This record gives sequence, structure tokens and C-alpha cells, in this order.
Amino acid sequence: MQSVARVSLVVVLFAVVQQVFLLGVRIDGVHPDVMVLLAIAAGVIGGPRQGALMGFGAGLVADLFLPTPFGLSALTGCLVGFAIGLSTVAFDDSAWWLPTAAALVGSAVYEVGYGMLGVLLGQSQMMHVDYAAIVLVVALTNSILAVPAARLVGWSLPTSQVESVPSAMSSPGIRR
Amino acid sequence: MAKPRRQHRPRTTLVILVLASITLITLDARGQLGSVTSGLQSVASDAMNPVRSAVDAVVRPIGSFFAGSVEYGSVQRQNEKLQEEIGALRQQVSERSDAVQRLAQLSELDHLPFVGSLQTVPAEVIDENASNFEATIGIDVGRANGVALGMPVVGYGGLVGQVVEDQRHTATVRLVTDGQSVVGAAYGKTAGALAVIDGNGSGRPLTGDLVPPGTVLHRGEVFTTSGLQGAVYPPGIPVAEVVSSRTAPSASQESVTLRPMAQLGGMAYVSVVLWGPPS
Repeated sequence: MQSVARVSLVVVLFAVVQQVFLLGVRIDGVHPDVMVLLAIAAGVIGGPRQGALMGFGAGLVADLFLPTPFGLSALTGCLVGFAIGLSTVAFDDSAWWLPTAAALVGSAVYEVGYGMLGVLLGQSQMMHVDYAAIVLVVALTNSILAVPAARLVGWSLPTSQVESVPSAMSSPGIRR
Repeated sequence: MAKPRRQHRPRTTLVILVLASITLITLDARGQLGSVTSGLQSVASDAMNPVRSAVDAVVRPIGSFFAGSVEYGSVQRQNEKLQEEIGALRQQVSERSDAVQRLAQLSELDHLPFVGSLQTVPAEVIDENASNFEATIGIDVGRANGVALGMPVVGYGGLVGQVVEDQRHTATVRLVTDGQSVVGAAYGKTAGALAVIDGNGSGRPLTGDLVPPGTVLHRGEVFTTSGLQGAVYPPGIPVAEVVSSRTAPSASQESVTLRPMAQLGGMAYVSVVLWGPPS
């Protein structure tokens, strides 16, 4: 129950940061997108199942503020969270660079995947966006924010569900 | 060293979540989820707006202050005390000029000649491009103010877009530059010269379709909404002006590039036209 409250708190915190602060930050017309960082961090810290669950939940919250089809962020988020969890399972859990690298790659995959799924769902405007700029801005900002995000997500996840925690990310809330 | 992780049937979880997502997307597309999602979006939007407004009120003058400070870097280096005074003064000026600019935009909305006798609701722009994949703005009026889906939104200069989501106290407007935007337009002095203006994404020029090859279009010529029967916009609203026009060899239509008449970047206020297509 406590972990549900913590996860909810972290997701709401990220949503507020995204909506209040980051929407106004424009780099080449593109704003950062930190909601996907939740799925990526949960995937790195908790494994594929936690990544998928966090991606789905955070995606649903993100969808509340987006004009795109409801559920699209949740679908992309759970796929990316799962993929990140699966692909990082074999890495050394003490690697300090893991969350940053996962954020870099995961964010790029998320943005491209989001656009492709959107086009498949009839969102033709998604064919007319500058993917290079979106991927670059979102991936770079998320890689910068990956370490604090991973700490927060590590704190929020239930300890029994934490499957691997990079030592650099360990926090009092995580029992390794 | 990598260590084995506990497996909680992650693939089963993923399949369930993917199916749940697809179900939500399908229900949303069919409109069967409309009242639920719209209600949740209204609650989320209403909860976020006060926070956003408060932060914006603090951040906007500071942003203007820093923007202004860059121009006076040499002065700042000469005297730290003077820098503080200049900074404080510039902050005041920025605040005032920002307020004056916003006031000017608001008063301009009261005198839009192309709106005529149509009833409008002024709205403040509360966010811009909530998604990197859409050219949209959020406005601070919604169903409670008489705003409904499909209503045209205008700004200084011309058509801004159309309401595509309406919550209780907020709404989302798809800009004419969005890739999904299509506007039926008229041009030239002769009646019956019609075209379709397509958006190509945020920050990109518009495209004029269905203009017959060989049509003479001059730079700056204005396309207005056609207002044909069944059109989603009332007639006579300026949409875009011609930037370039050329006829490609053996093309079935002119290749027309247009620029939106409304200043879509940095808008503070817009007006929602309380108008719907005649049934």
C-alpha cells in the first residue's frame, strides 16, 4: 500500500514537472518529455515487469494531458519499459552509466515508436514532425535527468519487486 | 556482476497491459470512452491550471529579465551594483512591456474585422504544443463558457485553428499548421476559386491544394475560409497568404506555399467563435 502511494506520488510529481515547467522549455520547437523516464527507470531498476507496469501507468497519466488517442502513451510506455527491463537485465548492476544510457536509448525508441504507432492509428500529423529534433531533445534531456529520476523511482518501487539496482542508484527505500 | 532477477511472468503482464492499452485506444476512437476520458481530462486540467498559472506568473518576468540582461552584458561586467539596478529596472520594464503586449493582443481581439457579428469568447493561451507530435494550444475556456467541439478559433490576423477537445474549463485547439488540419478556402477576385489549405506540422509552411495549374497567384495574396455549405468555418476569415506559387511540369495543380495570417507563435490570447456549421 505504501509503495502504491509512493509510486502515485512520483508519477504525479513527474506530471506536474512536465506540465508546469517543461512544456515551456523549447529547444528547436521541441519540449522535453520526462514521463517516459519513469518507465525507463523502472525497467532498469525493477526489471521488465516493473518497467511495463510503470510505463502503462505513467502513460495513462500523460494521456490525460495530450490530444492524441487516449492509451497511446500507455501502450508505447509499457512496451518501452518492458524492453528496457529486458535489455538491461544482463548488465552489471553496479554500472553507474546504465540509467543514463538506458534513458538515451529508451527515450529515442519511445519517441519513434510513439510516432509510428500514432501513424498506424490514423494520426497523420505525426508524419509531419521533425523526428530528429524530437529524438535528440528528449533523449538528451532524459539522459541528463536519468540519475535523479532513477533515485526517485527506486525509492517508490516496492522492495520485493526491485530485481536489480545499480549501486549508484541505491537509496534507503531499496533493499538489495 | 549481473545477477539473476526474479521473474514475475513479465510477458504475461506485458500482454495484459498491451491488450488493455489497445482496448482503451479502440474505445476512445469509437467515442465510447468519451465521457470518462473527458471527465478525467477536465479534472486533471483543472487541477493543473492554477499551479501552471502561478508558476507562469513568476517565471515569465524572470525569463524576460534574463532575456533583457543578455543585451546589457557589457554594462553588467563594469559595475556589479549598477548591474543589479539595471536588472531590477529591466525586470520592471519587461513586466510592463509584457503586460502591455498582452493587453494590446487582448484589445485587438475586440476589433477583428473578419469576425463581424459572430459572437466570440476571448481566451488566454495556457499552453502550447502539449505534445511534440501535434501543433495545438490549450486555452482557458471550455464548455462552461459555451465552447464546443469544432468551433473556429481566431487571433490577430486570422484563423488560428479549431477546437478539438473541450473540457469544462479548458479546451484544446488544433492549429492550422497541424498535420491534420484541412481548411476549405477561397482566393482571388472571382467567385468559385476554391482551394484546400493543408497543415504540414508546427513551424512549417502551409500547402494550398486543388489550385488549377497556371493560376496566377501573387505573393501576399490572401486565402480566406470559403464558408461553403457544410464547411467547418464561417466564410471570410483570413487563413493564409501566398509565399510562393509555381506550376511543375505536367502537374495537375499549382504548387502553392502559404504562411498563416495569424501570428501563431507566442500568442497570449485568442477568440473562440461561437459558431457551428448550419445543420
